[in-house]
Amino acid sequence: MAVYIDINRCIGCRSCEVACQRVHGGHGHINVHYVREYAAVPVLCHHCQEAGCTMVCFTGALHKEGECTAFDVEKCTGCGLCALACPFGVVWTDKIAHKCDLCQGREEGPACIATCPANALSDDFDLATRRARERAVRAAAVGGKR
Amino acid sequence: MTKVLVPTVCPYCGAGCGFYVAAEREKAIGIEYMLDHPVSQGALCAKGNAALEILYHPDRLTSPLKRRGEGWARISWQEALDLVAKGLGQARKKHGPRSLAFLSSSKCSNEDNYLMQKLARLLGSPHIDNCARLCHAPSVVGLNKTLGAAGMTNPIPDIASSRCIFIIGSNLAENHPVISRWVHRAKDRGAMVIVADPRATPTSWMADVFLQLEPGTDVALLNGMAHVIINEGLINREYIAQKTKGFEALSRAVKDFTPQRTAEITGIAPEDIVRAARAYATSPASAILYSMGITQHSTGTDNVQSISNLALICGQMGRPGTGVMPLRGQNNVQGACDMGALAEFYPGYKKADDPNTIRYFREAWNAPDLPPGPGLTATEMIEAAGAGEIKAMYIMGEDPANSDPCSEHARRSLESLDFLVVQDIFMTATAQLADVVLPGAVWAEKEGSFTNTERRVQWSHKAIEPPGEARSDRGIICDVARSLGLQFDYPDAASVLAEINRTVPQYAGILRERLEGSSLVWPCPTVDHPGTPILHRSGFNLAEGRASLIPVPFSPAAEAASRNHPFILTTGRVAVHHNAGSMTRRSPSLISREPDLFVEMNREDAAALDVEDGDEVRVATARGETAAYARLTDRLKKGVVFMPFHFPGTNILTTDAIDPEARIPEFKVCACNVFRRD
Repeated sequence: MAVYIDINRCIGCRSCEVACQRVHGGHGHINVHYVREYAAVPVLCHHCQEAGCTMVCFTGALHKEGECTAFDVEKCTGCGLCALACPFGVVWTDKIAHKCDLCQGREEGPACIATCPANALSDDFDLATRRARERAVRAAAVGGKR
Repeated sequence: MTKVLVPTVCPYCGAGCGFYVAAEREKAIGIEYMLDHPVSQGALCAKGNAALEILYHPDRLTSPLKRRGEGWARISWQEALDLVAKGLGQARKKHGPRSLAFLSSSKCSNEDNYLMQKLARLLGSPHIDNCARLCHAPSVVGLNKTLGAAGMTNPIPDIASSRCIFIIGSNLAENHPVISRWVHRAKDRGAMVIVADPRATPTSWMADVFLQLEPGTDVALLNGMAHVIINEGLINREYIAQKTKGFEALSRAVKDFTPQRTAEITGIAPEDIVRAARAYATSPASAILYSMGITQHSTGTDNVQSISNLALICGQMGRPGTGVMPLRGQNNVQGACDMGALAEFYPGYKKADDPNTIRYFREAWNAPDLPPGPGLTATEMIEAAGAGEIKAMYIMGEDPANSDPCSEHARRSLESLDFLVVQDIFMTATAQLADVVLPGAVWAEKEGSFTNTERRVQWSHKAIEPPGEARSDRGIICDVARSLGLQFDYPDAASVLAEINRTVPQYAGILRERLEGSSLVWPCPTVDHPGTPILHRSGFNLAEGRASLIPVPFSPAAEAASRNHPFILTTGRVAVHHNAGSMTRRSPSLISREPDLFVEMNREDAAALDVEDGDEVRVATARGETAAYARLTDRLKKGVVFMPFHFPGTNILTTDAIDPEARIPEFKVCACNVFRRD
């Protein structure tokens, strides 16, 4: 599982950032970036299948647990190699590494998904594209008219 | 100790999202989302997520204070109440009850507001108002005239069933973020979205048609759309004939607003005006959403009336997915108005100048002498204080020294009062000017009902005690009333709501026990009434049951760009701040995201002034000047600049030109100049 983003829906309100910070004791793992005045994109850990951060982590603090790129804080030395290895800039070190843990221990799942006012975030890989397909089908059904 | 989840209503905007405050050992330790909430469905914006940050802020007022020289002395409640009784009592005795003025708060509960206006009126002063004056007064005045009811006609989730959503003068994606989920849901079902705004915003990202109009030309755009709709025969003839009056006059009034002429005034391409008009008129269900971009103008009431004209001639009213939706900015601005904390209305929108109203409340309150209105409005009170007509003021939970236009002037006026008592949670700019400051409670520290923008009444529970000696606002008002010799026996919020049930017909059936774990949308006239999510289904609460079409001529904004002030300044909000900012600027996770006052300007304008992104600049108007960081953008057309009003600097600049009917200041348009700092 990971958190997927429907860019069409993101309103750049930064609610996910504040929620993530709130449930992680002040350390947020999601950042909203703006494409000039035209769009906003939340950026967070992709939980890559072949995750660069796990490959460089010599203590095994960052490691794969099924689909999730997991983090064992006890093993972290704070060396910062993971931050260098991550191509998306979503792992950072401040004494220890910080990254998305998919809100482990939170029964209801990731806080960013629950709080997103515009329903731009979900754990459904196919949601954004399915929404687009459904819009297209509906438009076709009425001959392109609204 | 076990953790308890206490259901509360978010203290920020008018969307009325619910969330649980998790409390343990008398302390709020976290927020849990309320997944079954009818509006937010568990979602919260950045402000909602940060709401707990103000609870334990070191700046919280924890004891009553009195002015001592340049500083403050902590005093006991007894001394504070004595001072307030003396201050208000002396002014009343010496200068008469009309020398007192009261500002109630759209941040406070229905019960707090009901008691505040009752206190004012029992003391004989008609001068009671709240900051709705600065946001939706034109909606109250305009929609009462045209539709016979002020408020959103349809509930927020109903937006999802709309097929065409026309958003004008509202940046809801930043100001009411959860509403965007309902707009997106409508889009998924094939709805078209039209956004009219002088500034491209995250709301306009949702638009299929974006109409970037010049600030202050809304009436022209709306008249222009009505022209196209009438001209092309897209009106709903049956609806107009059965449910409205005044069509002929309206038809004549918009005759000249051809797409070409409208385009010249508004700066929008004529074909976009036509496209928007056709889409709105022909969709099976169209809704208009609007906000401060419509109301905060010297033509605010005109703007509101033109919106209602458009909806009425198309018959887009009284059905799911249709309607006129003023999105309100504060958690209880709707409720504060419903409770009669308004200069021209007693509770339940009973006109203050109607002898029947006075007779009714004389009996209901067992008060022989009640002042007829209308009293002075929020902005007029400040004016009158400056002129020496108002001698003493009681301000609860509002910050006019910061939020009023031309704020330096407001500050001087408040300084000239003989006595000022301010009840708030922080030492605001207004509280700084007070003689006595009373520490109030925030939402999680008290209980009461709040009415959101869609007229939904929800009960917010008390999770924790107020800090130090701070008290609930209801408790403080009752204490002040008693110290002035009035009978105010309300042991809890429920006892006030019980009186509201008796005196406000729209709330007659909204009993305390019915709000447990549920909510009700007014009007709810009886105890078994289910509430009224959609207004005007069968007609209007006006003569003959018909809505009024009121022709509206176009008049330009009070100020135009000039040689000395070549830019038009428009103001608004950003997603991570709220209003005058006394809460959000103290919230670390919000202020860190938007720490400084900025001025957005078009890149070409900036280049001509040799200003680069991030430069500190001076923005000046006829009222004053302020420093801000330049933010260069393509969001604005040339000649227009934007500033958020969450920082003290902005309202030093804005004009006090007001709408003649609703008395709202024109926050959205004034002429300014921008200079490099050096």
